[in-house]
Amino acid sequence: MDLSHSMGRRRFLTASTTGLIGSALYPRLVQAAAVQEGGPLAPKPGHVPARAKHLIFVFLSGGFSHVDTFDHKPRLRRDEGKLVKAPGLRETSTLPLLASPFVFRPFGQSGLMISELFPHLGRVADDLCIIRTLRTDIVEHFQAVLAMHTGSATVPMPSLGAWISFGLGTLNRNLPSYVVLCEHMPYAGAQVWDNSFLPPYHQGVRIVPGKDPIADLHSPARSLRLQELEAMMLRDLNELHAQARPGDLDLRARSNSFETARGLMQEAPEVFDLARETNATLRLYGLPQGDRSSFAAQCLTARRLVERGVRVVELIDTGSNNNWDAHGNMQDHRPKAKRIDQPLAALLCDLKQRGLLGETLVAICTEFGRTPFTDAPGTHGRNHYAEAFCGLLAGGGIKGGMAYGQTDEYGLRSIVDPCHVHDYHATILHLMGLDHTRLTYRYAGRDFRLTDVHGKILQKILI
Amino acid sequence: MCRFLLPLLALLLLASTVQAQSEAETFFETRIRPVLAGTCFKCHGGNKVSAGLRVDSRQALLGGGQSGPALVPGAPERSLLIRALRHSATAEIKMPPNQKLSDSTIADFERWVKEGAIWPAAAPGVDVFAAGKHWAFVPVRKPQPPHDSSGWAGGPLDCFIAAGQRERGVRPVAPADRRTWLRRVTFDLIGLPPTPEEIAAFLADSSAEAHARVVDRLLASPRYGERWGRHWMDLVRYADTAGDNADYPIPEAVLYRDYVIDSFNADKPYDAFLREQLAGDLLARQGPSETYAERTIATTYLALSRRYLTAPYEQWHLTLEDTIDATGRAFLGLTLRCARCHDHKFDPIRQEDYYALYGIFASTQLPYAGSEEFSSKKFPRDHFVPLLPPAEALPKLEAHRKKLAELRNEIDQIAKDPRVRLTGEQGLANKRMQEKLAELRRELFDLERTNLPADLPGAYAVSDGKPADVPLQRSGDPGQPGPVVKRGVPKFLAGSRPFVIAPGSSGRLELARWLTAPENPLTARVMVNRIWQHHFGKGLVPTPSNFGLSGQPPTHPELLDWLANRFIESGWSIKAMHRLIVLSQTYRLASVLDSANIARDPANSGYWHFERRRLDAEAIRDAMLAVSGTLDLRRPGPHPFPPMSTWAWTQHAPFKEVYPSRHRTVYLMTQRLQRHPFLALFDGPDTNVTTDTRTRSTVPLQALYLMNNPFVTEQAKALAARLLRGSPELGQRVQLGFELAWGRPSVEAEIEAARHYLERYEHELTRLDVPIPARELEAWTSLSRVLLGANEFMYVD
Repeated sequence: MDLSHSMGRRRFLTASTTGLIGSALYPRLVQAAAVQEGGPLAPKPGHVPARAKHLIFVFLSGGFSHVDTFDHKPRLRRDEGKLVKAPGLRETSTLPLLASPFVFRPFGQSGLMISELFPHLGRVADDLCIIRTLRTDIVEHFQAVLAMHTGSATVPMPSLGAWISFGLGTLNRNLPSYVVLCEHMPYAGAQVWDNSFLPPYHQGVRIVPGKDPIADLHSPARSLRLQELEAMMLRDLNELHAQARPGDLDLRARSNSFETARGLMQEAPEVFDLARETNATLRLYGLPQGDRSSFAAQCLTARRLVERGVRVVELIDTGSNNNWDAHGNMQDHRPKAKRIDQPLAALLCDLKQRGLLGETLVAICTEFGRTPFTDAPGTHGRNHYAEAFCGLLAGGGIKGGMAYGQTDEYGLRSIVDPCHVHDYHATILHLMGLDHTRLTYRYAGRDFRLTDVHGKILQKILI
Repeated sequence: MCRFLLPLLALLLLASTVQAQSEAETFFETRIRPVLAGTCFKCHGGNKVSAGLRVDSRQALLGGGQSGPALVPGAPERSLLIRALRHSATAEIKMPPNQKLSDSTIADFERWVKEGAIWPAAAPGVDVFAAGKHWAFVPVRKPQPPHDSSGWAGGPLDCFIAAGQRERGVRPVAPADRRTWLRRVTFDLIGLPPTPEEIAAFLADSSAEAHARVVDRLLASPRYGERWGRHWMDLVRYADTAGDNADYPIPEAVLYRDYVIDSFNADKPYDAFLREQLAGDLLARQGPSETYAERTIATTYLALSRRYLTAPYEQWHLTLEDTIDATGRAFLGLTLRCARCHDHKFDPIRQEDYYALYGIFASTQLPYAGSEEFSSKKFPRDHFVPLLPPAEALPKLEAHRKKLAELRNEIDQIAKDPRVRLTGEQGLANKRMQEKLAELRRELFDLERTNLPADLPGAYAVSDGKPADVPLQRSGDPGQPGPVVKRGVPKFLAGSRPFVIAPGSSGRLELARWLTAPENPLTARVMVNRIWQHHFGKGLVPTPSNFGLSGQPPTHPELLDWLANRFIESGWSIKAMHRLIVLSQTYRLASVLDSANIARDPANSGYWHFERRRLDAEAIRDAMLAVSGTLDLRRPGPHPFPPMSTWAWTQHAPFKEVYPSRHRTVYLMTQRLQRHPFLALFDGPDTNVTTDTRTRSTVPLQALYLMNNPFVTEQAKALAARLLRGSPELGQRVQLGFELAWGRPSVEAEIEAARHYLERYEHELTRLDVPIPARELEAWTSLSRVLLGANEFMYVD
């Protein structure tokens, strides 16, 4: 409801009554304003034709095991207990191979092998591209999580989402360009979605699923009318202040940001109100009535955000605790998988039904894999592993029903088509219409890139 | 100034006169050569000579290819190179063929050709620049202030500015009115708005010394150090946590924060200030003993280097990279870090230079803030530094060591006792022994983890370690050692005096002395530029932490050198620099625009007007608290961290806290891995890396905060109560509100508007059945919130 209309847009102050008006605007400044209209988040063309307008980046925290999920290694069962060289974070030892306790079977027309942990994702196998040869540099959570997000394991750099926001702007100015749905803080904290040296508009806005997803969305005023009254007074005083200081576009920009914020106050509650979804949709996601914080709720919210033009949505599954970090027993993966399997499959189906999957790239990944051998002799868990792990891509521009790359018989090393994290990033940027070698920002005397001086596009997985 | 004007800067540069030779070379090396090498050499360099043309030397361009000469120096319009780059419809050749270069790059080439296509004789690097051609690497000159015949200038500083204005063909606007100047200088020097009493006193003071009196008052205020100390804390990436995977708190960090604030308040000579931060522990031993603690605390600067992973001193080469990066950029304006893996691409810094400095810091013992990997694997704090001289500290340390040894011994004795391991019925009798063992172990760890005994105050500071030269790390990889490099300073800046390190010491004291020698061409220039930057919103050198070849040259090189000289001559007095700057006519200019000046100098590089600025995060919060009357000006005690015996954070559950406070923002607890939510929202500094310039973003989330956040409402309510208390009469209340929040009286129409607003607001409250006593305060709270959220509050003219 637009109350400004009902109140007849009555102003408390007008320039003529106060005599505060300055001299006329400078034509050149007006021109400069027109050129820059829309501000730093206005949609911008990319470098190459875009296959996707939106990115949904799903991050499973803690390191899910590749050999228990999407990289089937029957030889592990045959050779279980065989001692192999086991590189660790600080030293190399010898440890026994560990078979996966989970059954794999082919899914879909493509026959992609997926483990029993993901029966629902199996049903959309023909839309999935499994990258089986991902590789990262430092095999510790904090550093590997940073690397998967920023391309850099150590020095703080801008996040993938911030780079895309910087490169492409966004489609709905009432909402942030990069939204991070994150209930529990991940390893490395807010650095994961930080803009670093990029302008701050591109920082991911963390939304904690639940009752108040965005901070300060609720007015302290007793009624909408009072809220509108106060906004009008502020607008008037700012207007007079700006008129007395002609040519300063920053003042107008700041004044306008209050209007945008009011847009956010109007739009955001609706975006996050899942009660507006049909029962059929809620059932698809397996979402209980009234639930606003489960992973299913995050997935459904992601679809609603993409529908409304948000450029990048990131979903962080679990945080730095009680996550996929299964050192003790691989059975710990079971409840984690159950939590996300149906919602993720539902997200892909839902996007597809609404014709959004063609323009939305969905990336599902983790910071590293887990050792095909045991964490320690006698345990049924696996340690961190950087040499090979899985990531999934689906949607805009991606060939479905395929696996990219191949690891050896135990999943220890990539033997065909290795894919460094930089390559994964380069491919995501390419699909979004950005050339990773040209998406640069000059900072401290040098041009920086998400992929540093690396990165190659995985041509084989593109439609 | 409006950021939208920046693109016009390029046009201005085109019209300006030909630059000095060294600047032209810089321009070539940073703007032209990289494009030629990156884009054109593929087909027109090395062995490739497409269309008979090479572009890898000036000679080759002059000679041209099949289409004739490519370059006519001084005449871009007649140069085939420029026509080809422009891709214009009539051009016979379009280069690069696939993708036109950006407009700004083409403008660079046009400028380069127009200015004579300067191409330095030798390749960039030590050969060219060791000769000291780059403006920042030559000794500070002693320029004479030019004469200002217009009579506008108030002193030598203004004379330099006036000369620059003449060159640019711009004229200074009128001075700001006295209220505006007072609000400007008060925010600039102490980060708070002037009070109505201060405004009245200044307006009533018609003497010639009125302005100087204000500046003296502000510089003498303890609030001054809280403002300018914060600028320094940005540079040294101050945080109250270590930045390791679990982000362990450092309760002792505040000692350094207070040291910085106190040093600014005391106007500690800047050279001494730097020496203390690099080598205060070594200076402390030279006495007098009453400065022992202060000087030791100063080295917390080095200790604050970023930590990585979890166990003590992991990825140590990255921590030292941060030390070198911060020291290079903050103190010297040099991007030394670039030379970690290879020789610097732009500056004459060789990889050996990086490892010469690396050796100095590697010979230094940094503390470790403690951490925990899993609940079982704990790492105690280590190498904290006592704040008492050795004669007093050693007995305490010895007693502590003895106590630890006894405890360990006791634990060993019990653990060795075979009865401890007995189980079942026999074990029952020894359950008490096991409990005792666990208790003793806990006691031991609690004693170990504090690092220093409870009766010995300590700091998160440094001491000399084992002095040694280190091998160069090929490609920056410690696993690929190269030849050992002697500890020292960058060769091209070393000067004629040999760099001799006293036997058995790290070299930090020698580094500190070299850095602050008056001959060092960078240290004074870099600091006066920072002081200028915080007064005018931009430096004379627009890249305040990069004075190298990839940085930007000064807009007023002579003024910069004159200031640097004055700085050294004044005994490195920062307060003397403030006086010089804020009492100038240049600083007094109004923030109005002028169309004739805009046409000639849209970026205001000639300082023909003062540039309006938004308050930074600290000033926003402090001003709100001050205006509402709720600001607690006392220095708070230690942060309320939980007791150390309960610390058990891991990377899975890192330390994460936000402590509420009514103290000045500089005293808020700030972390590395998690940004303080308020500071993050209003562009506070990144505590992980040296920050020279805050960004100033305008995002809707800030507006949401100002409209809806309970903290803002709390301040608005307090302000409303203050106004209601101040007078029974509406007009006077509005007056007071404007004076407090905006530093000016309200005009009649504004009072009328406020009256109208309050009526409407209270009417609506009546309609909502709000009881009468609550209505007035609620309406005034709303009006106060408007005053605090308005542009006039947020901007300084």
